[in-house]
Amino acid sequence: MALLETRQLLKHFGGIMAVNDISLTIGEGEIVGMIGPNGSGKSTFVNLLTGLYTPDKGQTLFRGQDITGMQTHRITSIGISRTFQNLRVFQNVSVLTNILIGRHCQIDNPLWKIFLRPLAARKTEKEGREKAINFLKLANLADRMDEMAKNLPYGEQRLLEICRALASEPALLLLDEPCAGMNPVEMDTLAEFVRKIKAAGTTVFIIEHNMRFIMSVAERIIVLNMGKKFMEGNPKEIQADSGVQRIYLGEEEENPC
Amino acid sequence: MEKDAGSLIQNNSSKSAVVRRILITGICAAAILGLPLVVQNTYYIGIANFMIIYTILCMGLNLILGYTGLLSLGHAAFYGIGGYVTAILMTRHGFSFLPALLISGILAMIFGMILGIPTRKVRGDYFCLLTIAFGEIFRLVAQAWIPFTGGAMGIVAIPIPKIFNWVIRSEVDFYYLGLILVGFTWLSLTLLIGSRFGRAFVAIREDDLAASVMGINTPMYKILAFSIGSFYAGLAGSYLAVYQTTITPSSFRLEESCLMIIMVIVGGMGGMLAPISGVIIMTLATEAFRSLAEYRMLIIGVIMVVVLLFRPQGLFGTAAFKD
Repeated sequence: MALLETRQLLKHFGGIMAVNDISLTIGEGEIVGMIGPNGSGKSTFVNLLTGLYTPDKGQTLFRGQDITGMQTHRITSIGISRTFQNLRVFQNVSVLTNILIGRHCQIDNPLWKIFLRPLAARKTEKEGREKAINFLKLANLADRMDEMAKNLPYGEQRLLEICRALASEPALLLLDEPCAGMNPVEMDTLAEFVRKIKAAGTTVFIIEHNMRFIMSVAERIIVLNMGKKFMEGNPKEIQADSGVQRIYLGEEEENPC
Repeated sequence: MEKDAGSLIQNNSSKSAVVRRILITGICAAAILGLPLVVQNTYYIGIANFMIIYTILCMGLNLILGYTGLLSLGHAAFYGIGGYVTAILMTRHGFSFLPALLISGILAMIFGMILGIPTRKVRGDYFCLLTIAFGEIFRLVAQAWIPFTGGAMGIVAIPIPKIFNWVIRSEVDFYYLGLILVGFTWLSLTLLIGSRFGRAFVAIREDDLAASVMGINTPMYKILAFSIGSFYAGLAGSYLAVYQTTITPSSFRLEESCLMIIMVIVGGMGGMLAPISGVIIMTLATEAFRSLAEYRMLIIGVIMVVVLLFRPQGLFGTAAFKD
């Protein structure tokens, strides 16, 4: 059984078909990439998966369970986590607190326990903290955990956001253009990090513009164009395909000058 | 090796910081506890008692405004609900103070929930307008429902509170009762803020959408912050009722809500004890300029503007509100 499956997902805004009839499956332990030009519906697709938008038609299944139209926080709690295209770390709190907020669903302290059994609640809290630090170690951010998130350089804020998403211990991690604004060195760090995440057993779905990055990490790539699935294949097939090249570079003109 | 040395130094400095902190806390605690021994004039103790009331109110409001980022201009209504509940229970139904206090807090919390549920998804500015409306509705009902609330004359002759064998009669007695309530407020809020609930509130303030993606049920947590903050307002109202022995609608006007907001902003949003500095400054200012009557509010406004010009985050606020 596939980890995630979408069936004829469709979403339109007025007359614009943002996502048009997309069916795909993501298997357990894969790194799947999604590419496509600006406005091809990639971000809308991720927003549909995480419940920020409700699809007009179609279905999303996660481990066989229908999650179409489920509220965002419920989707996170059953094991899908994401990052945003435009960085959304919690700027004014510490790096560690960011991760702890990411672990919201994992720290099991009900309200009554906090007031009536404060010591037991504190113990759970402490364990959560230790686990949170482990996530920071994964991204080499542990020594900066007390710093305010907004004081980290851009690339590290990106890593922090991924760490925060990982902290909820998801089965499926969705990365929405993680390379945006990164320099090549930061990109290599990120690629290595994504491979580490996969090795730890998390399935990763990446939306990305940057060809070099996506070709180096993804095992399977889905190409989107004008809201529709254009092609699906491994990086080599995608790179060799003339149709994909045409989408990205435009039609070859007769007289370039 | 170098790293080890570094961490050692850090440990030492943090140790001395802890010692300094304990020392400062000890001195402050001693000063607060010993105040009635040094200051004999009951007028000043009375001012301190009003500071205590505003401290409880502002710590609750800080949970709503400073931590969760909801601008509520209806806090005086929950303060009033607490006041009227205690007044009615103690004068007409023979309740003693402690149960009346508890019921006041809980009823204020329930009303907080009742207001929180329909407004949970409303955007910030509309939320603010709805809380103003709620505050005004409460005040008008209190004024008009004469058989129940006594109308503009309010409820008088609220009995002297008694906790077990402690009869709370003098200003000094009320001072210590107030300190107990502040202690309770501080302790319970510290436990809450240090937990995942406190972090969820901050996450909502920082970025509502990202918070929901972290698995936080944002509408529910907003209702929770709002009703818990209202609970403390109910306690403060209950204290006011027995302290003044009368309760009238004029204590719960919109200006009161505004004053509380100003106190929280001047003291600093989002720090547990930060609002206290705002409470002290604003209470002293209103007392000092009492003779100027209407112009008092003008001076309060000027103080707020000056503080915010030089310290945008408030006197002791977290850096979150600096920009």
